[in-house]
Amino acid sequence: MQKIENEVWERIHNGDISAFEELYDGFAKVMFSLSLEILGDRWEAEEVIQDIFSVLWKKPEAYSPTKGKFSSWLLVLTRNRSIDRYRSRKRRLDRGETDEILSSRPDQMDKDGAEKATASDEHEHLHRAFTRLPQEQRQVIELSYFKGMNQQEIAKQLDLSLGTVKSRTRLAIEKLRNSLSTLRL
Amino acid sequence: MDTLKQKALDYTLGVLPKEESLLFEAMLEEDDEARSSLAEAQEDCTNLALSSKPKSLGKEVRSRILENCQPGLCFDSFLDSESIQKLRENFSRQDKRYQGGGGCVPLKGLQNSQVQDELYRLYQDLLVLSPLVAGDSNAAAGDMSGLQKVLQKSPSFSQSVDSLLSHSIEEDHPVVQSVQRSLLSSMPSLSFFSDRLNGGSFAMGDVRRLFYLCRDQLKIMRASFGDIDPPRLVEDEKLRLHSAGLLKTKWWGAEHAYFSSQGKVRCGHFFDGPVTERCVEFAEYDANMYCLANLLSPRSANGEFHMELIKDAVPDCILAIATAETKMEKHEEIEEIVHGINPANPPFQNDQILWNLIEESMTRAHQHASLSELRDACLFGCQRMENSTYLWFAWPAIENAHDGAEA
Repeated sequence: MQKIENEVWERIHNGDISAFEELYDGFAKVMFSLSLEILGDRWEAEEVIQDIFSVLWKKPEAYSPTKGKFSSWLLVLTRNRSIDRYRSRKRRLDRGETDEILSSRPDQMDKDGAEKATASDEHEHLHRAFTRLPQEQRQVIELSYFKGMNQQEIAKQLDLSLGTVKSRTRLAIEKLRNSLSTLRL
Repeated sequence: MDTLKQKALDYTLGVLPKEESLLFEAMLEEDDEARSSLAEAQEDCTNLALSSKPKSLGKEVRSRILENCQPGLCFDSFLDSESIQKLRENFSRQDKRYQGGGGCVPLKGLQNSQVQDELYRLYQDLLVLSPLVAGDSNAAAGDMSGLQKVLQKSPSFSQSVDSLLSHSIEEDHPVVQSVQRSLLSSMPSLSFFSDRLNGGSFAMGDVRRLFYLCRDQLKIMRASFGDIDPPRLVEDEKLRLHSAGLLKTKWWGAEHAYFSSQGKVRCGHFFDGPVTERCVEFAEYDANMYCLANLLSPRSANGEFHMELIKDAVPDCILAIATAETKMEKHEEIEEIVHGINPANPPFQNDQILWNLIEESMTRAHQHASLSELRDACLFGCQRMENSTYLWFAWPAIENAHDGAEA
């Protein structure tokens, strides 16, 4: 992933459109991939990305350096907004509200369409590392990070102790971190 | 993982209970270890984000997003104009706000059984099409084969619309209007994009556009014909706020088509907040917006037009505005339509219907039978300012509503 940090945000704050383009080119794909992984719906994921970039342009003060690294904040924001949408959609379906779009979808083929994604080295590397995690660790991460469940909910759903959920989460996170450190060597 | 690190991770993931979050934020102010735990948690979350399967975004998304950086059109002169001043003086909040559904008639009440059957078939075909263009469809992932197979079924949507418009319907006024709303608001654009996707030359943005058009068209038809799909209509009638964001997402940077003419849509001033309270109301509002776009897009001098929703410029009211640069003769055409001069003039017969649909909707929204009084109060209208034509309609705002939902 391209290294674009607080300096770009400062330029956006000053209304520099070229900085905004740099930000988009550096981050949009990974933000979209994350949102699509959570939502499983291309149009909804596009809407999340559009909304976030709209906020970044119109209210750049939404971020401040006290919130940590700009890139980390941006991905946390993408994840949290996508989870909010996922939950809201789930609530509607749980209430039994029909949705002609959601209730009759065919299975999606496992392909990425006409345009081939050109992922950054880090993105490709971490995705591969994630797919190589033991299934039980991957499952815990999928439920916590990609579905927004807390550890108690995961323990209940998988019929595990809270301690087991915590240790699987920790191990998975450490493996991803270590895998990245090998790339950066 | 020690407690502080776990807290930092839960905080970053948004699963830390509110009280604990506040305590953690207080710690961040003065505790280096808390700050370093948060930085580590954020880094771990970045790694998790990067573990998602890499996917690419279409070029049209980039241009749509960058378009949002352009300065919005200035509406000050329009909002200060005599017409809008008159609207301010005349607009008053209703005791009981209109929530849509007023234009609904039974499909079975249509005396022409051929039209009845064709409309029902059209609705069913659209139900089949919807999931094929949804965000998790194969078409959205780039595989058009299944979608094209369905679209190649004859007749095409354009043929269905042409065939339905060719019938003369001698019925009561509300029935005719339901047929017209179903055929002339979002349907011409839907037919255009389905034809384009069926042909060889299309972009991914066309699939997205067709998805929104399908969703809107189905809702418009349900709100027009109460018996076309009763179970889904029950859902559409439930109270659920619909935000202006839903309209912005759909119109922002979109390509619009009205039969063979096309236009590019720009939006710069959409407010944040709810517009309607039920799907049936949203469907009626949506149909009105499509009517504005259909009237204006073929007459734009540069192929572009603006759609805007502005709140609070007139108290208690949401103004839907469509504007485009127009040549004088095109503006005069619109003026004639708005004033109902030569309503049966063949080239503009359908355009006259579009404006009449908006007018009838205004009588329902403002619960007032006299069109001329509503017109005099400038609740809807047309005016020229410099080289541009402005069309608008005023819709009652929702009282004390701060939030919007997703449709």
